[in-house]
Amino acid sequence: MSRSICSRCLSRSQFTLETSASSPLPLNTAQRAAFSTTSALAANPPKKKGPVTAKPASRQGKTLRLNKNVRESTGKPPAQGERKAFRKKIVLSNTNALEVQGLQDLNLENSSAEKLAHLEGQVLALTDAQVSALRTLDVFKPTQAWNLFRKPATVIRKETVEIAKALESAQGGEDANAKQVIKRILFGEKGSGKTVLQLQAMALALNKGWVVLHFPNGQDLTNNQTSYHPDESGKLYVQPEYTANLLKTIASANQKVLSGMQLSMKHTLPFPVQENISLSRFAEMGANNAENAHAVYIALMKELTAPSKPTTGKGQQRPPLFLGFDAIDHVMRLSKYLNSEAGLVHAHDLALVNDFTRYMTGEHALPNGGMILAAVSESNRAASETLDYLLDTKYGAKTNWAEPRFNPHTGWKAEPMPAWSPYAPFDERVGKALEKMDVQKVEGLSKAEAKGLMEYYALSGVLRGAVTERLVGEKWSLSGGGIIGELEKAAVKTRI
Amino acid sequence: MPAMNPFSALRALPVRAKPTAALRAGFQRPAVFRTYADKSVNNPGKLPQSDDKVGPNMQQQEHVSEEAAKMAKITGGEGPDIEGQGTPVQEILEEDKKARENAPKVMQDSMKNGQGAANAKPSGSRSFSTFARRQQEDLSAQSGASEIDPSMIPSSEQRAVYAGGVNVPAVGHKFPIPDMTDRKPHHAGKYRYDEVVNQVTNLIMQHGKKATAQRNMAHILTVLRTAPPPTYNPSRPLLPGAPPASHLPLNPVLYLTLALDSIAPLLRIRSQRGAAGGGVALQIPVPLGLRQRRRQAMMWILDVVSKKKSRGSGNNTFAQRLAEEFISVVEGRSGVWTRRDAIHKLGTTARSNLSFGSRRR
Repeated sequence: MSRSICSRCLSRSQFTLETSASSPLPLNTAQRAAFSTTSALAANPPKKKGPVTAKPASRQGKTLRLNKNVRESTGKPPAQGERKAFRKKIVLSNTNALEVQGLQDLNLENSSAEKLAHLEGQVLALTDAQVSALRTLDVFKPTQAWNLFRKPATVIRKETVEIAKALESAQGGEDANAKQVIKRILFGEKGSGKTVLQLQAMALALNKGWVVLHFPNGQDLTNNQTSYHPDESGKLYVQPEYTANLLKTIASANQKVLSGMQLSMKHTLPFPVQENISLSRFAEMGANNAENAHAVYIALMKELTAPSKPTTGKGQQRPPLFLGFDAIDHVMRLSKYLNSEAGLVHAHDLALVNDFTRYMTGEHALPNGGMILAAVSESNRAASETLDYLLDTKYGAKTNWAEPRFNPHTGWKAEPMPAWSPYAPFDERVGKALEKMDVQKVEGLSKAEAKGLMEYYALSGVLRGAVTERLVGEKWSLSGGGIIGELEKAAVKTRI
Repeated sequence: MPAMNPFSALRALPVRAKPTAALRAGFQRPAVFRTYADKSVNNPGKLPQSDDKVGPNMQQQEHVSEEAAKMAKITGGEGPDIEGQGTPVQEILEEDKKARENAPKVMQDSMKNGQGAANAKPSGSRSFSTFARRQQEDLSAQSGASEIDPSMIPSSEQRAVYAGGVNVPAVGHKFPIPDMTDRKPHHAGKYRYDEVVNQVTNLIMQHGKKATAQRNMAHILTVLRTAPPPTYNPSRPLLPGAPPASHLPLNPVLYLTLALDSIAPLLRIRSQRGAAGGGVALQIPVPLGLRQRRRQAMMWILDVVSKKKSRGSGNNTFAQRLAEEFISVVEGRSGVWTRRDAIHKLGTTARSNLSFGSRRR
């Protein structure tokens, strides 16, 4: 006969009392008393009123409890998204700032390289149409001091004129057949104006009636914050939400151009499409449905990069394409996404990035001309040794390294050609993507440009006092040789 | 019958009794210097006399109730009872046993029932807040920015002074006010930043992180620059000669200085232990220097700001709250104003203790 108590430890019941042999429940299931509908009638006995005891000790138990530290919640907590909105808020106007008399616009009239060369060192305002398009494209950043002035305006610098020249050559100038593709990566110190140079290029391209596409921040693509799934081939990863949002910005920023263009080719799409639908309507269809977004994006890019046939029919005139990419260093390495083997996905395996790199390498052609203008982020730099090395060597090959050059930190010095670290793995994919890309170093403003900018500050009323040569020289030196972000800090933000 | 003293609350403030110092033999106190009488030109050494031989307090208007009683007597009506005014009947009954016996039954009953709220004797003192005229929050008069009290708008002379280059004429000064127009600030050329900005930056610094404090300071000035111009509150007057509100956003340092200097207290209260006798601390007002005043004001503002809840996220939330507090100071909404008022009121009541140190010697 088996005993109900374990003979070894004498403590545990070997069989639970209410388990019958036919019970389907396994032995380790929690067992309870049989179900009963009788309510618990026996209430707790009333407490006896004992003698009045002294006040209990202020601290009971062993844990330290400081009543003072209990936070009182006062007022309504911030609404959902309110705190992030505070961080990301972009204000483009300050009604307290004075309106600058005689401020010219960066309109079509002033867009030519020749005109801009005359306006170098002056500040030109953006038109309302440009501002709304650029706002949609998310080019304005919260760290830039747009919120100090009456209306958004940028200084025309040497690099802006160069960009304007490049846009003109991409368009082919007078000869319509001599269309080119300009491929360039901007790099330079933090606050040197890389993003604003992109902004100026986009403003000029919008003036000329180009189609403008822009990836405002490479980090958003790679930091594993939007949904992703492998495509049919299983090699690339599609980001449906991000793509839908991108299509929305494309459709909204290029509304005028795209509404005049029509679908011309047959595409394999997961949904029926009207034959001669306008491209803006087509992009919106992708934007409204994230599932179809990637197919729409591929089809749209095919349409935009098809050769222009103005004689064939209506809506077949295709303008040049501007492809912008900010913070490209984030996509020149492994992303934060995981593949099926729980390894990190290379950023170039993300479908959108992959598509962009094909334009960079020339695998995807831009027969109507265009510009690929990418920029490196220095305020939030992603570690990519291959990119660093390639930027340095490409820049070195362009310029003469043996010649001493001025560095505000080290003075006049000839720097040695950078050597690849033998211990670091070279990323071949990054090397291939950057093969055809030109590099441009964005450096500080010249003193004349700095003077024009500071005069604009003074006319806006944010810089008090006269703009003298001495003041300009002082601030130019303080800002590491005219680094525009630092100049802004020294002259406006912390001139306190 | 005890006399009623409506100002008995003043007793709460310990005033040090004058020490009865025995005069040393052979020591003669100098005669009290009477400014007006001694300087009298016509009859030096004598008190001035009025022409009609009536002193300043000899012909006073009657009290309203006395006047009303007189009027009632003339017209034959019943005026207010002047005789018994101010003495509660409960007190009379408490003292007088015979009166208690002859009192009406209602009163006797209420005395038996004890002291309830209905039978409570008047305390004989008023709360402090009724002593002085209460500051009316006259916000109804101020509906918009355009309807500023004309007294708040600086006169053309004040604007000229604010703009610099004009000497204030010496009115009521024995010697002319020195010409300060060409005077540079004492730190000119020594520090990169403005004096107030420097001090505030250091006061908001935590854990020795000055760069962070400077970034916060820059954000504060940016907010002051971009926020809509403040609306002045007439019941919270700022420093005299403050510029019009629309001038402030384009001069954020002035904005900051105005906010800080307007709430900076003039004095602090030093508690001298045991000086009031009986172990009670004597409260002595002590004047503060300029930097000390600003520091105290900044500490009050930081107290308020640290208790406020942040509505944003990121680097600049603290600076944003601080900037909003500066704006609310200038607009008269801040709670710091009441702290300043409290200190000044206490200083006023304790001013008789000012000579504490000098009297002892």
